[in-house]
Amino acid sequence: MASGIALALSDMPLAMHCWPEVSRRIYRRGGTEAEVRFLYDDREPVLPVMKDGKLELVRWGNGRGRSRCLPRTGWTWKATVEQGGWVGAAPGVVRIPATLALEKGIWFRVRQGVHGLLVTDEQGVESAYMICEPSSHYYRVMTRSDRMPALIEEKI
Amino acid sequence: MRLGHISLSHFNSTSFRKIDQIIVLLLLNSRKPSGRYCTSLDTIRAYTILVDMYTRKRAVGHLDADCFYVSAERVRDPFLKGKPVGVLGNQGACVIAKSYEMKAAGVKTGEPIWDAVQKCPDGIYVKRDFRWYETLSRSMLEVMRRLSGHVEYYSIDEFFFVAEPGPGQSFQDLAVAMRQTILEELDLPVTVGIARSRTLAKLISDSAKPFGAKAVLEKEHEEHLLARLPVTEISGVAKRRAKRLLPWGIASCLDLAKADRGLVRKLLTATGEALWWELNGEPTGEIHSARPRHKALSRGGSLGESTADPHRLYAWLVRNLERLIEELRYHRVMPGKLTLWVGYRDGIPGEGQTRLAVPTDRFDLLLEALRPCLRRAWRPKHPANRMHLIAEDLTDRDTAQGGLFSPHDPRAEALADVKQRINERIGRFAVRSGATLPLKSIYDDGANGYDICDVRGKICF
Ligand SMILES: [Mg+2]
Repeated sequence: MASGIALALSDMPLAMHCWPEVSRRIYRRGGTEAEVRFLYDDREPVLPVMKDGKLELVRWGNGRGRSRCLPRTGWTWKATVEQGGWVGAAPGVVRIPATLALEKGIWFRVRQGVHGLLVTDEQGVESAYMICEPSSHYYRVMTRSDRMPALIEEKI
Repeated sequence: MRLGHISLSHFNSTSFRKIDQIIVLLLLNSRKPSGRYCTSLDTIRAYTILVDMYTRKRAVGHLDADCFYVSAERVRDPFLKGKPVGVLGNQGACVIAKSYEMKAAGVKTGEPIWDAVQKCPDGIYVKRDFRWYETLSRSMLEVMRRLSGHVEYYSIDEFFFVAEPGPGQSFQDLAVAMRQTILEELDLPVTVGIARSRTLAKLISDSAKPFGAKAVLEKEHEEHLLARLPVTEISGVAKRRAKRLLPWGIASCLDLAKADRGLVRKLLTATGEALWWELNGEPTGEIHSARPRHKALSRGGSLGESTADPHRLYAWLVRNLERLIEELRYHRVMPGKLTLWVGYRDGIPGEGQTRLAVPTDRFDLLLEALRPCLRRAWRPKHPANRMHLIAEDLTDRDTAQGGLFSPHDPRAEALADVKQRINERIGRFAVRSGATLPLKSIYDDGANGYDICDVRGKICF
C-alpha cells in the first residue's frame, strides 16, 4: 500500500500551482519536470482526485481522526469495496491521478494512477481512500510489501 | 590497375594514408616527358577522387547507447529525463541499469534495490521491458545500416561498423554525425568511438561516455589514451588475467601494447596476442554483418527468489528447457550435448552434463536426459539462485541422420509442432508443461515472458 504519490506539476491545472497546499508540496528531483508530492505522513494529508472531470484535492482517508465515523486509515481493500463493505458511506470510485507512487521509501513509476474510493463523513467532508489489493510477485520482491495500490489499467 | 608507375596497391598500405602525402606522390607521378610537373588544380582534383576511390579511408567504429534501458524508458516517458532512474530486473530485486544521475549517487549495476534506495532516495524505479528495448534496438540497427555499409549487431545496444567518411568528411565529423542522427531520429543518446581496430574503438567509446563522439587514429593520440586506461578496461581482460600481467609491469593498456608479443602470448594465450595486435592498431577480427552460426545455445538466468525446494528447481529446469527448445527449433538445430549449471547463494555451483545418443529437440527426450544432470547439479538444502542450460554440438535439423536407435516418433513430433504453433499464435507459454506449476507467479507476469537472450541476431549475449 503506497504511503505517497507524486503528480507531475504539468498534469495539474495552472491555476492550482499557486494554491498553498500545492506549492508547498512541489519537489524537484532533477530534469525539467517538477512534481507535487502527496504523502500520508503530511500534517494534513490530501490526495488529488478526478471528480466530474475536474482535479480536486480531498482529505486522504481519516488517519488524523477528523471524522468520528470513518475508519482511521488511508486504504481499503478492493475486496472490501466489492463485497459492499462501504455501502453505508455512499461511496464512489474515483481516479487518483499519479505519476509516481511511494512504498517503503521506493518511488516507482505509475502510468495513469490509482483507484480510490470517495466517501463523505458525518460533517459532509469528503475523504478519499486508496484502494489496494494483494501484491503481485514483482511488487512484493521490489517493496517487500504484501499490499499494493490498485493501479489503473496497469499491471506491474 | 596502375596509375603512372605507382601501383594502386601502394595506397592501401598505412604509410600512404595521409592525403597530402598522396598528392605529393601523384604530383611526382604526373611529371611530363618535358620534365615539367602537371600542376593544374583540375588534375589534382581528379587524382584526389581516384585516390579516394582506391585508398578509401576506412576505420572501425563502435557505437554504444548510453544507459540504454533508462534511455529507452525516457523515449516513451519524457518525465524521467534528467532524473535518477533505475531499471529493475530479477523480478524487482536488482537494479540492472541506472541513469547517470543515479550512478552519481553511487548506485552500481546489479545492486539490490534496498541498497540502491539507501544511496539514492530520490531514485525512480521502473520495471524492465525487453520487448520495448528490442524495438528501439532494431530501429538503431536500421539507422546504423543506413550510415555504414558494414554493421555488426554486437549486443542490444552496441554496434561495430566500418567507418567510411563521406567526401570532405573526417572520421571525427562522421562520429559526431552518427551520434546526432541517432539522437534526432530515435531520441537516444549514444557514444561513438572510431579507431584502427575494434578493441581501440571500444576503448575510445567507453572512455568518451556519455554522449561522446571521438575518432582517434594517430598513434600519438592513441598512446596518450591507452596510458590512462588500466588493462581491465579491455573487454576480455578480467581481474584474473590482469593479475597475471602485473608481475611483468603491465598495468595500463599502453604497457600491454608495448609489451613483447611473445610474452603476452605466453601469459594470455592466443586471445591475448590478438588483443596485442588490436591495441597496436592491427585489426584481427572482421565486422560480422550477419551473425555467424551459433556454436552453442543456452537459456537460463536468475531464479529471482532463491530456492532450496527441489520441485521448484525442477520447474525452473523445465521452463528453461522449453525456452531452449524454442530456440533450437528456430535455428533448426539439435544438440548432441547438454550442460546444466546451477548457481547457489554460497557461491559453490553444481553442474551436470550429458551426451545424447542421438541429437534431438524433443521435449520428452531432452528432459529425460536432463533429470540425472539435475541430480548431479543439485546441492540439497542449499538455496539456488541461478540456472543455465547449455546446448552444444549442434547439428542441422534438416540434414541430421537418424541414429541406429533413432527416436523417431510421429506422435511426439506432431505434439511438439502443435505446441509450437499454439504458442506462436496465442502467446508464449500458452501451452507448457504442468511441471512448471510451482512458477505460476513467474508466468503470471508478462514481463518475464521476454528476456534479453530472446533478442535474436546479436553476437554477444
Ligand atoms: Mg550501452
